[in-house]
Amino acid sequence: MILSGWESVFFWIFSIAAIFAALLTVMARNTIHSALFLISSLVSVAALFILLRAEFIAGVQILVYVGGVMVLFLFVIMLVNVGSEERGSEEIFNRSRQVTTSVIFCALLVGGLLYAINVGYEGLQKRDEAAVSAAAEQRTAADQNLPQAATGSSRITKETERVGAGLYRYGSLPFEIASVLLLVAIIGSVMLARTLKQEAAVDDTAPEILQREAQHDPEIAKLQSTIAQ
Amino acid sequence: MQFLLFNFLNPAFGMLLQAGGNGRFAIAWEKAQHPDLSKFLIIGALLFIIGVAGVLTRRNIIVIFMSIELILNAANLNFIAMSRYLQDTGNVNAVAGQIFAVFVIVVAAAEAAIGLGIVIALYRNKETIWVDEIDILKW
Repeated sequence: MILSGWESVFFWIFSIAAIFAALLTVMARNTIHSALFLISSLVSVAALFILLRAEFIAGVQILVYVGGVMVLFLFVIMLVNVGSEERGSEEIFNRSRQVTTSVIFCALLVGGLLYAINVGYEGLQKRDEAAVSAAAEQRTAADQNLPQAATGSSRITKETERVGAGLYRYGSLPFEIASVLLLVAIIGSVMLARTLKQEAAVDDTAPEILQREAQHDPEIAKLQSTIAQ
Repeated sequence: MQFLLFNFLNPAFGMLLQAGGNGRFAIAWEKAQHPDLSKFLIIGALLFIIGVAGVLTRRNIIVIFMSIELILNAANLNFIAMSRYLQDTGNVNAVAGQIFAVFVIVVAAAEAAIGLGIVIALYRNKETIWVDEIDILKW
């Protein structure tokens, strides 16, 4: 796959934006700033997905990650009120010895990865040279026969159709398992985020914990007496 | 469509190109104009490394979660680049990478929901979000 023309210009713009935003996510002092930089990194990666002709995944990325997960993150940041803790001179990184070790580890890892990618990609290119050049001719013919969009303004690819068909043809069992996983996650997060008061209100607490907490919380004591009746 | 931006930049690099002749710089410039699979893999690797560095060095548990999202996103980028590469080798219906990416996004959403639930419960009991202060499991 070789991009050219405007595609490569956009590739460099979005990849550099993604990497800088990711760096700033890790380095920013304010957690809200971190979250906003992560959002811009995710949007840049979604643009790279569009360059790779995965329009469906790009849409899902923006809807689910940026629209769902990051809003959840922002809510939690505001709920735990980290701003007041980070405004001071509190250190945001671990102790310097840990940071040095992990930076050395990451440098070694990035060296190894880049070496592996270079060597592996050369081998891959050598193996697939014939198939790529044969497919390129077919593809240019197929690209010119794309269906017109409903608006008539542009031509659309059939990529989303293919992903949907593939998802239900080859991945229907994982799809069902993923839905069960999401259900478990919903129930788990509701269970985890309950307060003691909410647990006591539905009579879901051990009596001794309720007894202990009731001593310094009058509202719990009131709940305890209503439960006891 | 003419190649406006690179044509615009080329004169600036012309001196270097002439000086280099067919040197490494000219080859690198030629390759930069035509990014291929390896460039996407390198971007994915860099995002992954930044995420790992964030997990290892930060003290704030919420930023650690965000770094995990970065790592998962780098994996997604690799999956989709590979899927596109497979399509370009003649396998038009190769969408396994994109299906994997959908499941990665699902797992990331579930993980974020559970993790942030744990963060809220932890903050309610310990009044801290610094991971090095959460050491009640350490005896």
